[in-house]
Amino acid sequence: MSLETWGWMILAFPLGGTVLIAFTSQILPSKVHGVIGTLAIALAFVCAVGALFQLQDLGEDERQVTSVAWDYANTVGVNAQLSILLDPLAIFMALVVSGISTLIHLYSVSYMRSDVGYTRFFAYLNFFVFSMLLLVLAGNFFFLIVGWAFVGAASYLLISFWFRRTTATKAGIKAFVINVVGDVGLVLGTYFIFKTTGTLDLLGAFDAASEFSHNDTDLVAGCILLLVGAFAKSAQVPFHTWLPDAMEGPTPVSALIHAATMVTAGVYLIARMHPFFEQAPTAADVGSVIGCVTLLIAATIALVVTDLKRVIAYSTMSQIGYMIMGVASFAYVGGLFHLMTHAFFKALLFMAAGSVISAMASEQNLDKMGGFKRAMPFTFACMAIGGLSLAGVPPFAGFFSKDEILAQLITRGGWFVVLAVLGYVGAFMTAIYTWRMIFRAFYGPPVEQARELEDGHLYHAPEPTNPATGEVEDIDVGFPGPDHQIAEREWTMKVAMGVLALGAIFAGLLQVGHLTSVIHDFLEPTFHDSPYYDELEPSDGATWGGWVAGTVLSLGGIFLAWQLWVVDRERTRVTALRARLAGVYTLFSHKWYFDEIIDAVIVRPFAMFGRFARNVFERVVINGILVGGPAGAVRAGSAAVRAIQSGFLRYYAALLLVGVTGLGLYFLISAS
Amino acid sequence: MSMEWYLVLSALVFSIGAGGILVRRNPLVILLCLELMLNAGNLALVTFARAHGNQDGQIFALIVMVVAACEVAVGLGLIVAIYRRKLPVDVDELRELQG
Repeated sequence: MSLETWGWMILAFPLGGTVLIAFTSQILPSKVHGVIGTLAIALAFVCAVGALFQLQDLGEDERQVTSVAWDYANTVGVNAQLSILLDPLAIFMALVVSGISTLIHLYSVSYMRSDVGYTRFFAYLNFFVFSMLLLVLAGNFFFLIVGWAFVGAASYLLISFWFRRTTATKAGIKAFVINVVGDVGLVLGTYFIFKTTGTLDLLGAFDAASEFSHNDTDLVAGCILLLVGAFAKSAQVPFHTWLPDAMEGPTPVSALIHAATMVTAGVYLIARMHPFFEQAPTAADVGSVIGCVTLLIAATIALVVTDLKRVIAYSTMSQIGYMIMGVASFAYVGGLFHLMTHAFFKALLFMAAGSVISAMASEQNLDKMGGFKRAMPFTFACMAIGGLSLAGVPPFAGFFSKDEILAQLITRGGWFVVLAVLGYVGAFMTAIYTWRMIFRAFYGPPVEQARELEDGHLYHAPEPTNPATGEVEDIDVGFPGPDHQIAEREWTMKVAMGVLALGAIFAGLLQVGHLTSVIHDFLEPTFHDSPYYDELEPSDGATWGGWVAGTVLSLGGIFLAWQLWVVDRERTRVTALRARLAGVYTLFSHKWYFDEIIDAVIVRPFAMFGRFARNVFERVVINGILVGGPAGAVRAGSAAVRAIQSGFLRYYAALLLVGVTGLGLYFLISAS
Repeated sequence: MSMEWYLVLSALVFSIGAGGILVRRNPLVILLCLELMLNAGNLALVTFARAHGNQDGQIFALIVMVVAACEVAVGLGLIVAIYRRKLPVDVDELRELQG
């Protein structure tokens, strides 16, 4: 089959899966839907591999193929075509998205088994993957925006999957609203670029990128608007507040959002639009700085959060910060390489966390966990591998990819070295908070749930509660049904986590300093027009220095965490530290007050404006003037006309007479 | 004989008819007054026909008579219907159609 066919089939399978699951929801038993969903994504992955082979068969200069299915609209110079762009970057993303999603689907087959919404869950999940694949394969701005918006919609559906939980629906709305802000940014940014390039086709627009002068005002504005879109999807400051709240969704959804289908979209967008960003370095610098700020802020929050899933969520934010900082500083190889390795270990961490949360019967608070190491050896091993990779311990995947970004930044020189140094500070904090989470959940004296599990009995809460608020709730709605599944007892979960664990260990070997350069060589055709692509190959000094610094910092961070949370059983030092840095602790544990600031600056003024509009504008202007005005005029006019209708015949006759006489006199006078 | 006198008579009769419609309350009398007005018109038409020396006005007067006959038939029918229903035979009492 040709490359184009493979490419279209990548999209066809998840879409077909969604439709099939949706239309057979009442016909087939729900168990089948899990299999259909998983198979659909697995086949999409197979197609992506097929496309990969076809693409590699082409000559290096020809590895950018646009395939047009049909013209959706072609008017007034807007050529909205349903087209896909198959180039190394698109295939790379498609492979990561479909590959990781397949494993997450496989995991969900067991994890969600006793949930009443099992069928609905897989329909949404397939739609989510389809949207993301549409986003990464889109061949023009039009369908990029469509995919972008679909991803937002799908995330809304899945975050508020347990829709009878108020906290979940609120989180879904929050994610959707912030994503729509990003959508608006993307659409307006596209407009600014379209204004000059005059084409919606991606390759055509890239060719026309040179028409912009260096740091052209329009282009900088357009790129900053694109960045707004990227920040909203990728949860960068100040659009990040939806991400931790998105933990209200089921754990596989968290894994999907964080590893494969959603937050990476921003990184992809910046890498995809690199010809524009390179013409507008001012906008790109904004991206680099925001990425750096985000990675630090997220890391500090993750140090103090006590919710297991939220620690991982903030770590995602922080890691995406690295990627955004990388691709916006034109360190494409590092950024995209980290995107891939991050997908492996982040999905793995979430799956392991899901297994722990199951064992805790939906409790997510780290304060109530402890000592799961012996009860859940497989989960612990996976969590440890994911944790080592996230912390950046050699030779795990995260070590090489994070280091690639930072080494490329150092190679770029100038103030990017400062960003790289801050990145290392972030890496140190990453090691601490990751292992704080693991030590607190798996070490220490076993809690009741862990002891029960060691006796071979899975703990069930006396009554299901909402982990966010502690409210008692319906078992139909909250945590996946009455039965809980842990990785130790389910082969599907074990397979999914095992494969990801292998990826988290070995994926780093694809791009090791100067030894291997698979990612760099593979992505080369997409970035052939970028002068930075080869220029930013890390120098020997940066590579080796980075490796040493990364190793020392990650091991040091883990050692510190070990000292603070394992050796010091009573946690006296942590308590003392917290007391001494009370101000900083309050700032971190309130998430830098971002929610409060956004609430005060945007939400409340808008709510006030809304109330004003309802009470004043609606009542006075709309009801009073716009609606009441014409109605009053008609009413007054009809009252006047009604008064003439007295019913007296002679009155009418007199009017008639007067009228005719008047008319007659008028004509007589005007005739004379 | 000059034409003016015919026209003066016509105007006089028309005014009597119009005044009757305005002041009388009995529908029968109002109908009579209407007839007066129509015939005043007829008189004027015939006078002008004579003055102009052609027959158009006379023919028109004939048509007006036909219409007047029809109108009388309808009007009397209405009055009889009002009478049969034991409604007051007084146009000021029959004013349900007021706004």
